[in-house]
Amino acid sequence: MDIDFIMEVEKRAAALDQMDYFEVLRLPASAGGAEVKAAYYRESRAFHPDRFAALPAPELRDLIGRIYRRVNEAYTVLRDDAKRQRYLADVTGPERARKLRFTEVEETAVKDEQKKKLEEQFGQTPNGRKLYASALQELKAERWEAAERALKTALMYEPANAKFKELLGQVERERPKADPFKIK
Amino acid sequence: MSDDIAVGIDLGTSYSCVATFLEGKPQVIPNEWGEHTHASVVSFLPDGSVLVGNSAKRSIITNAENTIYSAKRLIGRFFFSDEVKKAQAVMPYKIVEGPNNSVRVEISGRAYAIPEVSALVLKEMRAVAETTLARPVNKAVVTCPAYFNDNQRQATRDAGRIAGLEVLRIINEPTAAALAYGFGKDINQKICVYDLGGGTFDVSILEIGKDVFEVLATAGDTYLGGDDFDDRIMTWLAEDFLSKHQLDLRQNKFCLQMLKEASERAKIDVGRDGSARIHVPAICQTPEGEVLELAHTLNADEFNRMVMDLVQRTFKVCDEAMQSARLTASDVDAVILVGGPTRLPVIRNSVRHYFQREPMTGIDPDQVVALGASIQAAALLNAGVAAGGQATYLLDVTPLTLQVGTVGGYAERIIGKNTPIPIEKSKTFTTSRDGQDRVKIRVYQGESNRAEDCEMLGEFEFSGFRIGYRGEVQIEVTFEIDPNGIVNVAAADLETGRRASTTISLSSGLSEQEIRTAIDKNSEIALSGHAT
Repeated sequence: MDIDFIMEVEKRAAALDQMDYFEVLRLPASAGGAEVKAAYYRESRAFHPDRFAALPAPELRDLIGRIYRRVNEAYTVLRDDAKRQRYLADVTGPERARKLRFTEVEETAVKDEQKKKLEEQFGQTPNGRKLYASALQELKAERWEAAERALKTALMYEPANAKFKELLGQVERERPKADPFKIK
Repeated sequence: MSDDIAVGIDLGTSYSCVATFLEGKPQVIPNEWGEHTHASVVSFLPDGSVLVGNSAKRSIITNAENTIYSAKRLIGRFFFSDEVKKAQAVMPYKIVEGPNNSVRVEISGRAYAIPEVSALVLKEMRAVAETTLARPVNKAVVTCPAYFNDNQRQATRDAGRIAGLEVLRIINEPTAAALAYGFGKDINQKICVYDLGGGTFDVSILEIGKDVFEVLATAGDTYLGGDDFDDRIMTWLAEDFLSKHQLDLRQNKFCLQMLKEASERAKIDVGRDGSARIHVPAICQTPEGEVLELAHTLNADEFNRMVMDLVQRTFKVCDEAMQSARLTASDVDAVILVGGPTRLPVIRNSVRHYFQREPMTGIDPDQVVALGASIQAAALLNAGVAAGGQATYLLDVTPLTLQVGTVGGYAERIIGKNTPIPIEKSKTFTTSRDGQDRVKIRVYQGESNRAEDCEMLGEFEFSGFRIGYRGEVQIEVTFEIDPNGIVNVAAADLETGRRASTTISLSSGLSEQEIRTAIDKNSEIALSGHAT
């Protein structure tokens, strides 16, 4: 074990509580999923406890263990796109010092956000969601009346849903106008 | 240290296997009779010695009360668990309650803890290795099912210590199998390890590269294995016998053992030949003294129908693992089958159908786990290889969510399942009464948000922190899962940073003192058939 590595371990272990997860994985803040994985593998090769199992010095092993546990923690958060975005916003914000470690509070926030997004996308009520889905299908098959009917009913369940209104507007615009003077 | 040696041991429910890394490749160590796998059966002989392995398996019938098998089904479990109750009904040996709700087996008046029994199997594996290699063996990597919880892992590690081995690492069986498959191959693949053992079922999804083996997800069922297939045949035979002769073979433990043996053989035969002839002459006697025999034929269709729901259960577990890994069956590049029951055509066909691909051939399902463990043992032993960066790294995960008990019988999530290990997480607790001098927390593993539906790991009591008004003292509790998958809990006063002392007041495990006593006792027990 060379002295440079030991010094690096000591330096990293001491600085661990000031580092954000990107720094732990030695990544730029712009990193995406694939880069996170590559960095995780790189750090695992460097600090995996298996590498040091036969090492006689227990103090050094403890430090390496601390670093590697943080590497795993960083990977767990950064590999998930939604969590990574939230975390990036947290550590670039004013509360950086308090937000270096991702806790249940943030985790719940991410979950709530995802749920909200999903609801916005597909509606908040089971009936609304079902009708919206069927409207999309009718629209695809160009059955305009059916699509309109489904959306209008969906709006009865969720009168304030912007997504439903938008699609209804689209249906009304795109629907081929029947010529009122045409004689059948 | 370079002439030191370490072995890999697959401590199975029904069979165990030992391997070592020699001349650049992992090799299974056979015993003197050329057997590569050894029944995990311990038979206590009248002279105080024990017989372990395939010869011990033959004494299940002749020395039923003093022969212990399937001990792994009981390891790390509480006495009140369903598995233990079930074992009490069918096992010929006596299962009794030990201190702290633990399980003991009683052999001619002396109670053995389950790790002590498993230690005897490990001792035999060690003796096999020492005899064949003609040198002392003190270090080992021992495998356990991926879905084992903390209690079961600790008990497995204790068993190793009791056998006088330095347990370098506890690794997961499917991970070991993946290592044996991918070692030195330089491939980039997503693989699925389908591990159906004698008593447990595990699925692990891994992404393997040249030197990094990352477990993406693992799932399992520690109540499902080849034994359950035998049980189905047993029930079928016993019901039929009951309707013919109005005698229930399951009432008598002696008859039950013969029935079990016949069922196991029938399962193997039907898998290999497509049909099995079952014949047990003189299985029991009627009250009038008439000796009855058991004769039957089992064909593949009938067998498949009997076990189809068990097979389907394994694929529910596969679904769960796939979902956690965020993959679909078509993303998997290779499927590896591990465990004796995966030889059955019904399993192979179902696996082929589920993954839409042929499972890998050329891998011995009985030996692959021990081979993988021996690769890991060599890597952990040899600092030179590892520090030089030539080793393979296993990036494993925790199979179960770690939780703490909260008010009203609920449990709160601390570390989620499929989180890479080693990992740590801290949580702050405050005192709820003025002058409170101790804080108790209960730690659980499981997926339910009700504490009672999870497995309890233990109750930890912290003391020695500052005394103050309620809500004033904050104790930071750190939960750590180490590379063996074993949970460590420590606490510190958040303000002063002083470590609080921790006592474990409820746990199924053995205390340090008990382990020391067990080590001494274990070294006194002679293994029959080995000159020591």
